[in-house]
Amino acid sequence: MQMQSNFTWTTFKNIFVFLVLALIVIGFSAVSLNFLNPANIVNILRMSIPILLVSCGATLIMVAAQIDLSVGSMVSLSGVVYCILLKNGFGFFWGTLLTLGLGILMGYINGLLVMRLRIVPVIATLVTLYLFRGIAWTLTPRQIGLIKGNMPEGINDFARAPVFLGLPAAFYVAVAVIVIMVIVQKKTVLGKYTAAIGGNMTAAELSGINVVWIIWILYMITGFLAAIGGIARASYLSMGDPMTGNLMELEVIIAILLGGTRFYGGEGSVLKTVVGALIIMCVSIGMTVLWIPPYWQSFAKGIVLIGTVAVYTLITKKVEG
Amino acid sequence: MLGRKTVIGKMSNESFIVLSMFGVLIIFFIAASLLVPRFFNIQTISNQLSQQAELIILAIFVTFLLVSGNFDLSVGGIVGLGAVLSAYFCQSPTGAGMELARGLGMPYGVAIVATLACCMFIGAINAFFVTRLKVASIIVTLGTMSLARGIALIITQGSQRNAGLPYVFKKFGEFSLIGTINASVVLMIILVIIALIIEKKTVFGRKTYYIGANPVAAKLSGIKVEKHISILYLSSSFLAGFVGVIMGSIHNAGISSLGEGFEFDALVITLLGGTSIFGGFGSVMCAVVGAFILGIVSTSLNMLGLSPDIQTIVKGGITLIAILSQRFALDHRTT
Repeated sequence: MQMQSNFTWTTFKNIFVFLVLALIVIGFSAVSLNFLNPANIVNILRMSIPILLVSCGATLIMVAAQIDLSVGSMVSLSGVVYCILLKNGFGFFWGTLLTLGLGILMGYINGLLVMRLRIVPVIATLVTLYLFRGIAWTLTPRQIGLIKGNMPEGINDFARAPVFLGLPAAFYVAVAVIVIMVIVQKKTVLGKYTAAIGGNMTAAELSGINVVWIIWILYMITGFLAAIGGIARASYLSMGDPMTGNLMELEVIIAILLGGTRFYGGEGSVLKTVVGALIIMCVSIGMTVLWIPPYWQSFAKGIVLIGTVAVYTLITKKVEG
Repeated sequence: MLGRKTVIGKMSNESFIVLSMFGVLIIFFIAASLLVPRFFNIQTISNQLSQQAELIILAIFVTFLLVSGNFDLSVGGIVGLGAVLSAYFCQSPTGAGMELARGLGMPYGVAIVATLACCMFIGAINAFFVTRLKVASIIVTLGTMSLARGIALIITQGSQRNAGLPYVFKKFGEFSLIGTINASVVLMIILVIIALIIEKKTVFGRKTYYIGANPVAAKLSGIKVEKHISILYLSSSFLAGFVGVIMGSIHNAGISSLGEGFEFDALVITLLGGTSIFGGFGSVMCAVVGAFILGIVSTSLNMLGLSPDIQTIVKGGITLIAILSQRFALDHRTT
């Protein structure tokens, strides 16, 4: 009998995020059938690409008991740099390559601050949040506030041109990344070590895991993914917008928590985080479809965050008996 | 020789850091006065004071909470909430036309009390989740920040409420001693002095440090940790709400965007000035010094013609340098 009820609570915890997504989709559709409109679904998926990409990396970071608050700024800066490169005739190949390199560099800086200089991740990534955002702002001409105009033909293709089922190439890149990251987390040594570090960093270190190197890699992966996200967003907008990543860090954290990852690390799932990210995007875009004014967004996010945290804390108490 | 050192006595690590950062402040001030034209005059300097006033008031309890080992990222949102509620509660209920021009018509005093009560409710949510549900404070307060900001946005439909306000609404804002020394600055000075007394002379202050340094030991020593932290969160939200009321008065409107970013700025100046993010170490004076360092550097760069976008980079860079150099100084202090 005791085993039976424990089993149920644990399964509930595992499927909670999927239940919420189903609830949200059903709820919004019930109020307005427009929500299930294929064009709307394509829209939601297209807009989610940056957050889907970034959440994968950020999940692993949180599983390792770290945090990355600079993801939004990394996406913005990547988009801005990508557009600047394209405007100056670098072509898609070099533009993409250099931007991805920038992503890895930004992740390297985060890793440097956290692991080499031993600065607490909250502060280190807060500092890089300001740094990257400031650089993005400085690179953008003041009056316009955007990098636009004179973009090469086909800039929209990556994130808009339908490739299959009306969804653009960028979406399938994101799907591929998600699949890879899920495999990395569940099947590879990197994934196992990440969980070990998050569970008990000292024990992990004493077991011979190179903690410094692993966490550094995680930050670089996140930077790389943020760069892809930035390229996708720039392609979608055909502009470089230094504000595009604002508040993304909050959304990513909510997505990760919705997916049941523990804030203190050791436990988490990339797949569930992705579902969490979809929930957030459905809620934000769904509210627009339902003609709910944008000033309800902040309140909604706050409720979702607090509510998720409360529910998971209560469920975990039940699971642990 | 060893005896000589112990007899003369050492100043505490905290005083060392505060004095060092104060020294840095003086250096920056002198550099700015020499290098930046028109910096060294009454107008600029008093502008500095009033710009930092609200931030420093918020940083008081951000410091206390950080010393006790917790974050409070909700203060910015509560400032906005305080400003908006104080306007909404006392707007005249029979305004002409739009919904945004009509409020609940309470007398100003009652409106302020109601506003502060609502803000303290947000603090209570913080306290509950951190102490009872044991959720990480950074997550909880991020959530309550969105919540508070969200309520402010909803009540003002995204903009502000400025019609039908009683005459007395802007009285706070109009108060001024000399030039730009307004209500916020006076309040800041009073509150900082009280905070320093609490921090250094009262049992309450000492307990805060113990809790931050070693929460388990503190609890085993009989300190009521949960009650203590709850008091800190309630006070923090109370002051944040009050800052919001004053800012609303200064602008003569309940603007929903007031206080945006303040929570991170308050955290930055607290850390810049020397408070440790790990808890158990720091002082309100750190935040004060940190605020003025950042203020002087930003204003100087502004006055030298550098684009304000640079300021974001400066914020990040200076915080980084400050944290690293403080750690370096403390590590090498005993040798």
